Amino acid sequence: MSIDPTPAEPPPLATPEPSVRPRRTLPKLADPDAPLLVVEDLKTYFTLESGTVKAVDGVSFRLEQGEALGIAGESGCGKTTTALSLVRILPSNGRIVGGSIKLMGIDLVPKSDNALRRYRWREISIVFQGAMNALNPVQRVRDQVAEPIEQRLGASSAEARKRAGELLELVGIPRARGAAYPHQLSGGMRQRAMIAMALACDPALVIGDEPTTALDVMVQAQILKLLEDLRAKLGLSLILITHDLSVIAETCDRVMVMYAGRVAEEGPVSEVFTRPRHPYTQKLLAAFPNIHADRRTLEVIPGSPPDLRDPPPGCRFAPRCSLAMDVCTTVVPPEATFGAVRVACHLYPPAEAEAAAQVAGVGDLAVGAEAAS
Amino acid sequence: MGSHYLSRRILQAILTIAGIVLLNFVLFRMMPGSPDRISHNPNASSEARAAIRARWGLDAPLFPDQFVAYLEATAQGDFGQSFKFKGKDVTEVIAGRIWPTLILFGLGELIAIVVGLVLGAYSGWKRGGVVDYAGNGASLILYSMPYFLLGMILLVIFATALGWFPTAGMFELGRTYPTFLDQVADFVHHLILPLAAVSLGLIGQYSIVMRSSIIETRGEDYVTTAKAKGISESRVLRGHAVPNALLPTVSLIGINLGFIIAGAITVEVVFSWPGLGTLTQEALEARDYPVLQAIFLILAITVVLANLLADIVYGRLDPRVRT
Amino acid sequence: MSADPTAIGAVRRPPGRWALRLAGWRDFARRFLRRPEGLIGILIIGFFAVLALVPSLFVGPLELVTSSSGGRLEPPSWAHVLGTDNLGRDVLNLTVHGARISMLIGFLATLVTVVIGASLGIVSGFVGGSTDTIIMRITDFFLVLPTFVLALILAPIVLEIIGNGEILGMRTTLFVIVIVIGITSWSTTARIIRSQTLSVKERAFVDRARVIGAGHWHTMRVHILPNVTGLIVANAVLVFAGAILTETTLAFIGLGDPFAPSWGQILGASQDAGAPGLGAWWWYVSPGVCIVLVVLAFTLIGGALDDLLNPKARGHR
Repeated sequence: MSIDPTPAEPPPLATPEPSVRPRRTLPKLADPDAPLLVVEDLKTYFTLESGTVKAVDGVSFRLEQGEALGIAGESGCGKTTTALSLVRILPSNGRIVGGSIKLMGIDLVPKSDNALRRYRWREISIVFQGAMNALNPVQRVRDQVAEPIEQRLGASSAEARKRAGELLELVGIPRARGAAYPHQLSGGMRQRAMIAMALACDPALVIGDEPTTALDVMVQAQILKLLEDLRAKLGLSLILITHDLSVIAETCDRVMVMYAGRVAEEGPVSEVFTRPRHPYTQKLLAAFPNIHADRRTLEVIPGSPPDLRDPPPGCRFAPRCSLAMDVCTTVVPPEATFGAVRVACHLYPPAEAEAAAQVAGVGDLAVGAEAAS
Repeated sequence: MGSHYLSRRILQAILTIAGIVLLNFVLFRMMPGSPDRISHNPNASSEARAAIRARWGLDAPLFPDQFVAYLEATAQGDFGQSFKFKGKDVTEVIAGRIWPTLILFGLGELIAIVVGLVLGAYSGWKRGGVVDYAGNGASLILYSMPYFLLGMILLVIFATALGWFPTAGMFELGRTYPTFLDQVADFVHHLILPLAAVSLGLIGQYSIVMRSSIIETRGEDYVTTAKAKGISESRVLRGHAVPNALLPTVSLIGINLGFIIAGAITVEVVFSWPGLGTLTQEALEARDYPVLQAIFLILAITVVLANLLADIVYGRLDPRVRT
Repeated sequence: MSADPTAIGAVRRPPGRWALRLAGWRDFARRFLRRPEGLIGILIIGFFAVLALVPSLFVGPLELVTSSSGGRLEPPSWAHVLGTDNLGRDVLNLTVHGARISMLIGFLATLVTVVIGASLGIVSGFVGGSTDTIIMRITDFFLVLPTFVLALILAPIVLEIIGNGEILGMRTTLFVIVIVIGITSWSTTARIIRSQTLSVKERAFVDRARVIGAGHWHTMRVHILPNVTGLIVANAVLVFAGAILTETTLAFIGLGDPFAPSWGQILGASQDAGAPGLGAWWWYVSPGVCIVLVVLAFTLIGGALDDLLNPKARGHR
């Protein structure tokens, strides 16, 4: 018991001022100087009758306190699996087979399920996609928000309900609507309720798994605005998973582009979106109209992501890449860094990358190469 | 809240009962030699026969006169006279047989619902575990077994071979009881085996239904959400999976009720339990149609009402149908 | 096997389609037999089907009171492996011949049930409108009705009306049981097939067929029926299990035919003779085990079919 770094006792909730947040306390054994989250070489595989699906295969990234990271990519490229692996909410046939997940310096991977349970929601909470299905249809919304407060923070049910009401108001749902059941709320309201629920234990990190995908454009904008406001007000650390690059452009500090279970490119949003280096990132951006408004034609990436039971041996994007070279089909591309940007592509050999980064026009090379395709 | 859903269900139940009453009338006229058979009741005197003919309007046209007469009689609980039990009113014959059945099946259902649902929920949640294999295997066998066969097996083991329980009846014949408690004890002693047969059979059914319902629920997103909340597994099960899994289970239990009750009355025959089940067999042997029809009417209406109850429970469990 | 009769009517259509469908069925059968419960179920049913087809081959002709081979209520011995009944008949002989009666009644009752249920379901779903409403109201009525009790009353009434004798080479008692089970248990089938018909109807090719000017009857037979066949088979398997149980119960309670004893009739006779009280377990345990095995096998097959046809139930997350 004493070995487990359990979260410290929650602060008393019945504070005189109507504060919505309990003061954040770090888990025991947490290193206050460590980055919020460091994921290294994470591998999550699924076992099927027909073989092993390498859904996440060697993913590394880090997140600082208060930062927002967007994870982008086509569906089936391992975005959601990466996020669910952080708190190990995987389907029964899924398993983390390697790597480390260090939350404030504490590695979550070797922890037993029971020990890990203490980190769920208290430290890392998730706003799932499609709140209609992610909310329990036969329980009042307020009770669903209150549940983790009562169960995880040890609040009394009256306190928990009171705080649930405050949280609902914080996300723009009138307190009285908390008595409603999910089907009685609109899609936007349900998503707001999901967000209130995610904030219930004042977690260190909130993961948004396609939080706006099922909503219409107007409501999408409102929810994104809400997330931005909350980030400013509460200093949230956020991982936002979406295939919609414009959402990331608006909301996130950094972006990680994933392809077939691996990281293709990662770096500051401003850098990656204006100067995409990886051919996949370039194609992905080309498929979105509103980022480069000057583009007249929308491109479609031909083909579809590979079968992850038997992925291509070299670069996984090679079969669909118009710039693929011989080496791409046989050798896994190493990561090259250009300042704050990481790229895994044979166009940028790591040895030359640092030097090349000094030379102006590397990005032009990439864009030029893409334009030639 | 919910008045619309509820009133719809009640209306439906009333219409169904009306249909059953009509069907019963048609059966009544379909009877071989009917309607003369009623008046030719071998146990009735000629005056009584004339009275019966007048009572049922047998000399008047089938519709509306006979139908109206039938409705009046049915509304008053008058099902005519039994063929077998000489000259006795059907109502009288049946009245004495209702409460043994009510106790046996009321208790049996209660035990089965509690045990069956708990067993089914647990095996479904721990799919592939030891409890699942053992429980589901046993449930499948119980489900495949006619209730009376289960009764016969229990009887030969625990009554005939081991002698732990009496083989037949509700009380020991010819025994006098010093106190009321002794009488109750004897009753319970007789009740245990038939009750075990009824409950075990039903447990098989209910646990299978609940198990598959839980397995389906387990994959729902809200269960994933609940797990992500880091609450204990038993809370995820009790607070999220079970309340949702109960919904299809409740409506299935309602729909299967007619089949279950009917099959289960055969247990009474095995244990000579003096309820409606044994009465059904006696009446069938003697081709005592008035009694059979009254039993049909009673059981059918009971099933309709039980279904209504299932609908009401469903409405209480699922807020979506209430609005 | 069951695809053949329809295939004859389809000769004029392009041959590729039925070849394709056949390949589909073969693939389905392979996946089905790979599931342990499906394989076990098929083996059990196969065993009893053989018994039912040629019972005399295994145990000689059915023993009657006049041709009984043993003494009263003999416990199992080498001469009578499963003992004898109160008339000295060999229980093994009765049980094997009982397979024939029980399986035959079960099969025919299933046929009647599925034909009524599937046609009402297809018509209701396909035609829609007030036809649909009326058929579904009647279906709901039968769904709630304790059909077993209805069967209990109907059987003797129908029997008295048509009298004893033979219909289509079958004793009327058995025939009546078949009819009564059929007309009281079609409602679930109708409901299931109707909803499947509705979804098939939505698919484009039915619209295309209507545009070309095909009649309702043609469209239902050629376009709807093949697409609900899988579901009908899966449902029929479960109906078969139910029919065996219903027949057993009806026979037990006194509607069986002593001259054509089904398993249920043997159980009923043993109960009437007080076998459990006399400790003559062998009289009813073997037919009982047969019933459980057959119903269990059909349930397992039905579950496996359901799993394959309806992958959602497998639950991935």
